[in-house]
Amino acid sequence: MLIGIATITFLLVNAMPGDPVRIMLGPGTDQATIDAVQSRYGLDQPLYERYFNYMAGVAQGDLGNSIHYNGVPVTEKILERLPVTLLLVASSFTLAISMAVPLGAIAARRQNKATDHVSRIIALIGVSTPSFWIGLMLIIVFAYQLNVFPSSGLIMPWAHPSDVPQAANRIEVLGSSLYHLVLPTITLGTLQTAAIMRIQRSSMLEVLNRDYITLAQAYGVSSRTVLRKHALRNAQLPVVTIIGIQLTTALGGAVLTETVFSINGMGTLIITAVESQDYPLIMGVTLFFGVIFVVGVLITDLLYAYLDPRITYGGGDH
Amino acid sequence: MATPPETAEMGDQPVSSSAGEADESIRDLTGWRYTLAQIKRDRTARLGWYIISVVSVVAIVTYVDSQLLNYYIADTFWYHPERDAEGTALLPPVGLENSYGAGTWSHPLGTDQRGRDLLVRIVYGTRIAIQVGVVATGLGVIVGTIIGAVSGYYGGWIDDILQRTVETVYAIPFLILVIAIMSAFGRHLWIAIVGVGIVTVPIFARLIRSEVLKVREEEYIEAAKAIGVKDRHILARHIIPNSFAPVLVQGTLQIGVNILIVAGLSFLGFGVQPPTPSWGQILADSRGYMLPNPWFSIFPGIAILVTVMGFNLLGDGLRDALDPRNNG
Amino acid sequence: MTQDPLLSVQNVTTQFVTEEGIVRAVDDLSFDVHRGETLGLVGESGAGKSVAIRSIMRLISSPGEIVSGTITYKGHVILDRSQGPDGEVRDGEAMLSEAEMRSKIRGREIALIFQDPMESLNPVFTIGSQLREFIEINRDLSNAEAKAEAIELLREVGIPEAESRYHEYPHQFSGGMRQRVLIAMALACKPDLIIADEPTTALDVTVEGQILDLIEQLKTEYETSFIWVTHDMGVVAEICDRVNVMYLGELIEQAPVDELFHETKHPYTEALLRSIPKPHETTGEFDPIRGIMPDGMNAPSGCRFHPRCPDAREVCMSVHPDLREIDDGQNAACLKYDVFDADYDDSPPLVVDENGERVPAETVESVGGDD
Repeated sequence: MLIGIATITFLLVNAMPGDPVRIMLGPGTDQATIDAVQSRYGLDQPLYERYFNYMAGVAQGDLGNSIHYNGVPVTEKILERLPVTLLLVASSFTLAISMAVPLGAIAARRQNKATDHVSRIIALIGVSTPSFWIGLMLIIVFAYQLNVFPSSGLIMPWAHPSDVPQAANRIEVLGSSLYHLVLPTITLGTLQTAAIMRIQRSSMLEVLNRDYITLAQAYGVSSRTVLRKHALRNAQLPVVTIIGIQLTTALGGAVLTETVFSINGMGTLIITAVESQDYPLIMGVTLFFGVIFVVGVLITDLLYAYLDPRITYGGGDH
Repeated sequence: MATPPETAEMGDQPVSSSAGEADESIRDLTGWRYTLAQIKRDRTARLGWYIISVVSVVAIVTYVDSQLLNYYIADTFWYHPERDAEGTALLPPVGLENSYGAGTWSHPLGTDQRGRDLLVRIVYGTRIAIQVGVVATGLGVIVGTIIGAVSGYYGGWIDDILQRTVETVYAIPFLILVIAIMSAFGRHLWIAIVGVGIVTVPIFARLIRSEVLKVREEEYIEAAKAIGVKDRHILARHIIPNSFAPVLVQGTLQIGVNILIVAGLSFLGFGVQPPTPSWGQILADSRGYMLPNPWFSIFPGIAILVTVMGFNLLGDGLRDALDPRNNG
Repeated sequence: MTQDPLLSVQNVTTQFVTEEGIVRAVDDLSFDVHRGETLGLVGESGAGKSVAIRSIMRLISSPGEIVSGTITYKGHVILDRSQGPDGEVRDGEAMLSEAEMRSKIRGREIALIFQDPMESLNPVFTIGSQLREFIEINRDLSNAEAKAEAIELLREVGIPEAESRYHEYPHQFSGGMRQRVLIAMALACKPDLIIADEPTTALDVTVEGQILDLIEQLKTEYETSFIWVTHDMGVVAEICDRVNVMYLGELIEQAPVDELFHETKHPYTEALLRSIPKPHETTGEFDPIRGIMPDGMNAPSGCRFHPRCPDAREVCMSVHPDLREIDDGQNAACLKYDVFDADYDDSPPLVVDENGERVPAETVESVGGDD
């Protein structure tokens, strides 16, 4: 799978028009300098040779050197930005799951009552709204009108206090980090919340109509236990699958969210890379996005296997 | 009395199956007419249908005007959506006032940073959203159906190769892949359409493949094979039509998703290039001016929201109509 | 049969509110179940059998509602509900609360077995933990005691290696074995009444026979009463003592099993009996019931069976027959019997129209004239 991603990105990137070296060095550079730089980045070799070199490098964890960032190894640049994006995605999924699972379950329990209608309308709006627009609206309301949350930047919770303005110790760094996370998390998490809520509701409704739920009630199990124990675990199975699939949407959304809030993560990194036609960097970042997705799907597969005893192997295609 | 959760839904009870089935006038209908009748009865799906109808008409008119008539209609009866206007820039909507002046009815939603009427730009932006949303989804459906059908029907190594490829494309986040495609082949509208189409392919390839796997073992397919009907014929005549319902539902919802992707692309500067108006790009423009002028950002977002919601409402309605089990 | 009935169901009506209108899935249902007897509840799919038994357990929820009726069980008032003229539903004071239903009736006194043994077991929990949970809830046993009891029960219903299979999941059991587990669950709390909703329909014939034998054996051992819901007249003949026949939410015939088969009163029951394929008959003699059952939304006027009834006359379209005693211990709802005094004999018979439905003769002629 990862070989496939690497191949696709390699081919795509090499189809790009323009010459990054010329862009980097600017117009008017003499041919000798250009040739020298090209050979330094291996750009003078034929395509298939570059492909095999690149794949060999990938296998050893070497993604080449960034052209835009003056030869800094791509891996180093990515590892610097990766935690930011992971933090953002993780916090938005935490928000989404903690909101969507109970809300979806309650909506299903009160099917066609007011609670259900309201939550369905909210979920519908949630899946229909562009995340970056939510970000813009949040900035207008909370950063500008009310001035309660910052409109840009992100601080890592493990940052050193001396690097964080107005933070004297680790607690304040953590506080500042959370404070900066609020708006981006809502921005990125809304779509996930709405999507998971819709699946949670329909899946819960389906499970609540199953005979084993009626049977549990017929044997005197209280409705609360029926809901929490008998129904919820079964209802989570399609939800887990959706969470895995939502990951790819969320990673794409992270690019937009990072742009809106000027956060230096993987998303803004790939935009920079594309703008400057930094081949190795584009390939590396795309590959890493693929890796994150694959790892995420693997985790949801394991979770699925844990929840559903019918799956005996730890993964596979669903 | 605490009401226990839904227990009345049993397969063999007519009272409990989907509401529409109880009505004999509807039950007599079959296939398409049944679905249509169901949609007409579903208030929310009808709302979705109305939204889509209005937006589509606007998209067609603006397409004709922009592509064939060189904005003749807009320029004659309204404002030119692309040319910089001489009027005041950043004029607020009707009823509001800012440092540039008070809103007037001649620019009901105000003007942008170059003095262009915001309403006309939003209206003409519809075309891009619908064009990319519909065409890209159509592309994804066609290519996805072929890949999925071939993959599911033949199985074996063909299936393996196609599935690996599809999964690989699927593993790269949609937006990243389209950005990569567009930076490789250029920032043109058609590249955007093809790019969004490509990221849509895996969704339909997987859907069709699983439907084909379900249908493949059915007896009538076995029978068709046994009497020597050609594979291509079986695929085209029996298997694909049977997979149609889920594709229709997913396709309608996917148009909405693709409109969101296009808006995101334009917002990042990878969509259709200025000065052609598109919703995402108007939002990108508004970023620099929205803080004293929030309305600049609000209206294009509402246009996206309403349009995408239309497709979601219709898609949900179709799902309910085509699959009575899923009573929403 | 002179003693008080174990379960008495009187005039129970359950309806569902849908967008198109109100459907009476169970309409004015009355019957008794006596100690140690097996009562058959028979009808086509959609006759309201499943809603009827769920009403007995009070397991109906929105959009369905039990709107009126009385159900008593061993002196407990399971249901005492009446509908006022304003449509408001009122409960009698003696009626058990939801919590009392849970702690006193469900599982402990009345147990349920469903049609599809795969659907009835929760796929994500082990057989043992599900069985143990029900035992713990209803018998005040400790965890360990309940486990021992559960294994003992599994053994009793004929599951080999019960101890190791206790830890397995439902998908690891065959259909017949799962149904045995469900029977073990039903027996777990030593109820006096077991309601079985088509428990053998999903099984193949050999396994069905084994399960029926097991039930017979347990019946003699525990003296449990059964309500056996089915559409299979063969099963009815094999295990039931008395039979109730339902059509579109109503009881249309009540009779001891022998009389039902040999002195059938209602034309619908006759049609049901004729529809059983018999090995010695050729397919030509096999006679399915004509037409399809209408749904509850559009219940026909008068006798609900009249559009499909070979004996239907014009009077059947307007007069709705209730259940009356025709012979000793045998009740039926059909106007052709003298007790109804409905002028049946003088009423012109209905004829079959092009849709296979029975209509007055003149309407068919007028349709023919238009062509």
